[in-house]
Amino acid sequence: MSVAQAVEVVMPRLSDSMEEGTIVRWLKRSGQSVSRGEAIAEIETDKATMEFEAEADGVLEIVAQEGDTLPLGSPIARLLPPGSTPAAGGGGATAAPEPSGGPSAGDAGRAGAAANGASSGARATPVARRLARDLGIDLRAVTPSGRRGQIMKADVLAAAAARDRDGDRAAAPAPAAASESASAGARPGAAAVEPSGAKGEVTVIELSRLQRTVASRMSESRATVPDFTLEVDIDMGACVDLRERLKEHADPAPSLNDMVVKACALTLRDHPNVNAAYRDGRFERYGRVNVGVAVAGEDALIVPVVRDADRKSLGEIARSTRELARRVREGTIEPPDLAGGTFTVSNLGMFGITRFAAVINPPQAAILAVGAVEERPVVRDGRIAVGRLMTVSLSSDHRILYGADAARFLADLRARLEAPLTLLL
Amino acid sequence: MSEIEFRDAIKQALDEELARDERVVFFGEDVAAAGGVFAVTGGLQEAHGPRRVFDTPISELAIAGAAFGAAVTGLRPVVEIMFGDFLHLPMDSLVNQSAKYWFISNEQASVPLVVRSAVGAGGRFGAIHSQMPVPWFQGVPGIKIVCPATPRDAKGLLKAAIRDDNPVLFLEHKRLYSMKGPAGEPGEVLPIGKAEVVRPGDDLTIATAMKSVHDALAAAEELQGDGVSAEVVDLKTLRPLDLATVRESVVRTNRLLVVEEGPHTGGWSGAVLGQLAEDALEHLDDVWRLTTADAPIPYSPPLEDAFLPTAERIVASVRERLGLAAPSNPVTSTV
Repeated sequence: MSVAQAVEVVMPRLSDSMEEGTIVRWLKRSGQSVSRGEAIAEIETDKATMEFEAEADGVLEIVAQEGDTLPLGSPIARLLPPGSTPAAGGGGATAAPEPSGGPSAGDAGRAGAAANGASSGARATPVARRLARDLGIDLRAVTPSGRRGQIMKADVLAAAAARDRDGDRAAAPAPAAASESASAGARPGAAAVEPSGAKGEVTVIELSRLQRTVASRMSESRATVPDFTLEVDIDMGACVDLRERLKEHADPAPSLNDMVVKACALTLRDHPNVNAAYRDGRFERYGRVNVGVAVAGEDALIVPVVRDADRKSLGEIARSTRELARRVREGTIEPPDLAGGTFTVSNLGMFGITRFAAVINPPQAAILAVGAVEERPVVRDGRIAVGRLMTVSLSSDHRILYGADAARFLADLRARLEAPLTLLL
Repeated sequence: MSEIEFRDAIKQALDEELARDERVVFFGEDVAAAGGVFAVTGGLQEAHGPRRVFDTPISELAIAGAAFGAAVTGLRPVVEIMFGDFLHLPMDSLVNQSAKYWFISNEQASVPLVVRSAVGAGGRFGAIHSQMPVPWFQGVPGIKIVCPATPRDAKGLLKAAIRDDNPVLFLEHKRLYSMKGPAGEPGEVLPIGKAEVVRPGDDLTIATAMKSVHDALAAAEELQGDGVSAEVVDLKTLRPLDLATVRESVVRTNRLLVVEEGPHTGGWSGAVLGQLAEDALEHLDDVWRLTTADAPIPYSPPLEDAFLPTAERIVASVRERLGLAAPSNPVTSTV
């Protein structure tokens, strides 16, 4: 099947969480004929570099250059009818056709249309197309409801409403989620009760987009990250005492978790492979230390990020974690607060949990799971004494962190928390 | 506001215009002594005299020819072709003489001529007395086609037709003659070529004319129960079509159903859809037609009822189209 008229090829959605992609390499030149199914470019997503295939026969006209990072739906090329000659300079000179007006890139994302039993032809109604353009909605991400599988106006409006409600936050690389608006009448969060047998009534609840993001990223983590977990007990006596003294001088007084965050941040500076990620066969080490702090939101998990935690004072960390937690509770947390984490701390101590292993937040190399501080018998100088111990566990991606690396990180972290004066420097 | 029957509204319009302008004359088969087969014109001959209101032989071409001659020599004739099914008989006079004369006479003489005719199905009149002749004249420049749905419009538009200096085909749906509705202002003359939103709505525009306006209104009421807010546009004139009003409505609702009592192929509903697609494509979410099958109108009462675009069929069609009901077996399959 050849294209009958110029068709826009746009940045495809190659993974659930993908919001933008980078053209790593064009595998065809402008002006070259390509066949349906032939790889035309390598595109890097947040997860992998993937080959991207032509959806129809035609002459390639390259629009986006190698190295360009573009949001989903941005034009990257055009497919011209056979025999055409691309515009000089690689496109942009001629009027762009309707996005997704033909066999364009990423049609796989429109699987819903096929699932609806659509035959060829109808894709989106004219008004749906116009609204999608006006509202900046990528039609390939819209679930069609039309009787022939076409995207209707209502589908675009629903997609826009979903995006406005929670979509922007899902753009954060953390497994971020925000509280679902309870008042929203849209499908996510809506409960449907289905009659059932042995299990009684079954209430089916549609996931919000954020909940879907959490689900897919956690599954991806467990399915793809070869992780291992190391545990260590830390004597938090000095930290508890320090906190008591700081209460007289600081408002808010730093919590023990703030101290853990600060200690992690300082320790991360000395362990570059922990403040890092394994991505596409390479290590990425990050110049900034941004510590995500997992916070339970309503029906979701949110990980606001304390940026440059290694350079912030303990008091600044305390203020920023409280501010972030407040925004999470009020549902006013913004994407920038959720983006850019290089390491994550998850604390369930407030629930009395003494130890647990957390799921790595990909692509980060590790996550620290923090338990409760509790009085336990310890042996000091040959005597049994009462210690205030806290168990932490570090779950690590074995592709970048090996056992000894992770152990050294935990040992240094423990040393900082047991002698916490360096946290005040 | 007082109520008036559709047939009386027409008689009043004729009566008032005959009284107002002595150039107005009215003739046709059985219109004078018998008062018309649908009892519309009784008493007009008594009121205005046999020189101005009179019966003719059974020859539609003679009627139309006489009317054309009268019109170009200074009268303002109103004639009745008893059933619209026979409008093809005077077609040569209407299409080639009346509709063209203004243009080919170098605008020396217009043809102020009104042809009244009873049209439409549902009255058990069979295949040859139930047709809707609008498409026969739809493509004839120079003729206006007025299709009222209410007594008030019937009167106000017929008065406008009689005062119009050009040929007007004034079609009266048989099933409306006994309908009662609010009377207009005394002496009211309504504009030809102007549609009206007769029920506002948000989700869907139903554009139609004549009897189908009432079916569309009943359907809209029923659809309200489904949470579907249907806007109903009474086109009132089918040539020229007031597409600006339809467009204004569809820009808001994005969906357009055109209900036409008449065959699916070659009807005016296709013209409405076609022009809207040209003018307002970017506003369209769905457009479709509900018409009758490309088949003669059945004589059997149950078949005739099933044949027509009734309120029930409009409701079913909208439900199906909006995804509120599974597709049904269409009664109107095109051949």
